[in-house]
Amino acid sequence: MKLRRSMLFVPGDNAAMLSTSFIYRPDSVMFDLEDAVAPREKDSARLMVYQALQHPAYADIETVVRINGVETEWWQQDLEVAVRGGVDIVRLPKTENAQEIHELEAHVARIEQACGRPVGETKLMAAIESASGVVNAVAISTASPRMVAIAMAGFDYLVDMHTHRSAGWEPELFFARAAVLNAARAARIDAFDVVYGNVNDDEGFLREVNIAKQLGFNGKSLIHPKQIEMLHRAYAPTEEEVSHAKRVLAAAEEARRNGLGVVSLDGKMVDPPVIHEAEMALQLADLS
Amino acid sequence: MDVPIDAREWCAMSASHDFYAIRPQDAPGEMEEISQLLAANDLEADEQVEVFMVCRCRWTGRLVACAGLDHRTIKCVAVAHAARGEALSLELGTEIVNLAAARGQFHLFLYTAPHNLSLFRGWSFYPLVEVPDQVVLMENSPVAVDRYCASLRLQRHPGEKIGGIVLNANPFTLGHRYLLEQAAGACDWLHVFLVHEDASFFSYADRYALVEAGARGLDNLTLHAGSDYIISRATFPAYFLKDKGVVERSWAAIDLLLFRQYIAPALGITHRFVGTEPFDGVTADYNEQMKRWLEREASVAPPIAVVEIPRMALRGVPISATEVRRLLPDRDFARISALVPETTLQFLRAHFPVPHTAA
Amino acid sequence: MKIIKESVVGTLESSDLLVKVTPSDTASRDIVVRSEVFKQFGKQITRVVTETLDKLAVSDGLIVIEDKGALDCVIRARVQAAVLRATGAREPDWGKLS
Repeated sequence: MKLRRSMLFVPGDNAAMLSTSFIYRPDSVMFDLEDAVAPREKDSARLMVYQALQHPAYADIETVVRINGVETEWWQQDLEVAVRGGVDIVRLPKTENAQEIHELEAHVARIEQACGRPVGETKLMAAIESASGVVNAVAISTASPRMVAIAMAGFDYLVDMHTHRSAGWEPELFFARAAVLNAARAARIDAFDVVYGNVNDDEGFLREVNIAKQLGFNGKSLIHPKQIEMLHRAYAPTEEEVSHAKRVLAAAEEARRNGLGVVSLDGKMVDPPVIHEAEMALQLADLS
Repeated sequence: MDVPIDAREWCAMSASHDFYAIRPQDAPGEMEEISQLLAANDLEADEQVEVFMVCRCRWTGRLVACAGLDHRTIKCVAVAHAARGEALSLELGTEIVNLAAARGQFHLFLYTAPHNLSLFRGWSFYPLVEVPDQVVLMENSPVAVDRYCASLRLQRHPGEKIGGIVLNANPFTLGHRYLLEQAAGACDWLHVFLVHEDASFFSYADRYALVEAGARGLDNLTLHAGSDYIISRATFPAYFLKDKGVVERSWAAIDLLLFRQYIAPALGITHRFVGTEPFDGVTADYNEQMKRWLEREASVAPPIAVVEIPRMALRGVPISATEVRRLLPDRDFARISALVPETTLQFLRAHFPVPHTAA
Repeated sequence: MKIIKESVVGTLESSDLLVKVTPSDTASRDIVVRSEVFKQFGKQITRVVTETLDKLAVSDGLIVIEDKGALDCVIRARVQAAVLRATGAREPDWGKLS
């Protein structure tokens, strides 16, 4: 079960960051060829990311490349380096509908064949950054067997909605968050919450992390390495949760040994989803 | 786990500030802020700057750094004290280099006070010449001037008296011809340099062709293409501001030191020839500076004798290219023919035909 | 590949390098490396640059490297990008990229 709590954004044109980001051990590292890179530098950044993807330092970290959107002149070249470079996941920004995922998939398959990579190996994720994207979240999430995650991107979405971020429980993002999360769960893929841009405000960051965690997001897109540890700690299960999880799994193991079809603990039935949740909790506990 | 890079640096790296370019004439408000920033760094805004790269902090909205570009020369570089830190300066350097490249300028120069040398070494600029304790001229290549000198060395000629002369020749006149004859006659070999900038009435290509044609018959002479290293916008900007009456002594020194330390040794030049200058203030001053920096000032390079040749005169009036240009709008070829050789006259007649007047 | 125009790629920042490519008028290939760690890494930097140029079949031009402590993979990427810009190529030959 691939943990996807932290996805660290790394500008594709930044040599220092590309050379050091692996040190912080995020669950996933996302090399950005889109908003972080000026149009004039797209060609150069692409080649930097190609090299980074193949560097041994990133061999055991899940890699993601955020390509430019399908309405740009750059996305196909971005795909060439991403797929040929061996990226784990291609992230499509500003995804509006399922058709874009189909278009993306076709090109990815073409490149996989051309470079001898197993067709289907490259995974996809979509970033939802507009009202249309939110409305089409379910279709987007189920558009391809390659889809493994969907991310909510706050800034552009709020511009599209003619509003802006506020404090507290952020009502302006509520529907979008819920819709994207729901779509992810229906499609059985992972969901990422929005970027928290103010790197000097740790309190605000943690507040938002807890909202996301409570809603059920797998994780969050991050723009600063210090956010990684804060996020992982917030997602770590409590001791109580850990000991409960251990008891659940012990009960499941016992039932299995006795050939029983039903698992019970403290006189109550334990459903598979609960067992799964217990497994996840222990996995998170192991990693913290 | 420790974060090896502190938050501020990571922010600097991940762009919590914005760089963008402005043209001075389009943005009076920004120019006001730029002037303030420069003043805080003991600098003045240079009117010759064509475009400024500015840096604004995203959180505070304040202007924190700027650098100007005047053709190939970087000027007016300032970073706010509060924002000082190596990373920002290097980003600024990168941005201005990229801006210049987008404008087709890859070989860049900059002037700096000697105490800022190390800052610009970080920008990958290398010192060329220094006016002691005053100003250093730098270029953005570790090899450019050496490669230029290497190409010059291929054109050395043996001899005891090797001359050098720089012409603008706008256009080539009988006065220039006289100058070349006198100089070539006094040397074993004469190296002639043509000012390379296309900042004159006649284009560099045309001026070169006219000098080449006008110098025929002088067999101990090499006509060199001009370069950035000899009377160019980069090395002697004041020369191109004559109309504005700006005279900057430091600039003449820079150009002359380049000649003395690089160009002359490469070709073995022992004498620098120059026509006396009765008309143009900047050029007259330049001749004086020539004697100081080529002959008198101490230097690692040997001194070069400066030889002033009185201008050829027509009926007591020194012949000048300015006069030729003055007569051109009226197509006064009768007067012009007394001032220029046949080759120049043919060129002028062909390019400035007499318009047919309505009957 | 034929270098037909000037180009500059990279940055002045730590862990990066600036690559400047100029067409050669002498039909020769000249690699000039400047680095704050030239003593320790000058040879290696030159080797990586040479290999990258060889793979791109660049036989003439002036390539100046201003290194600020870049990893080999960064050197490779910047040199490739600078060469591609200097040849006026729209896209690299993806099959030949390394």
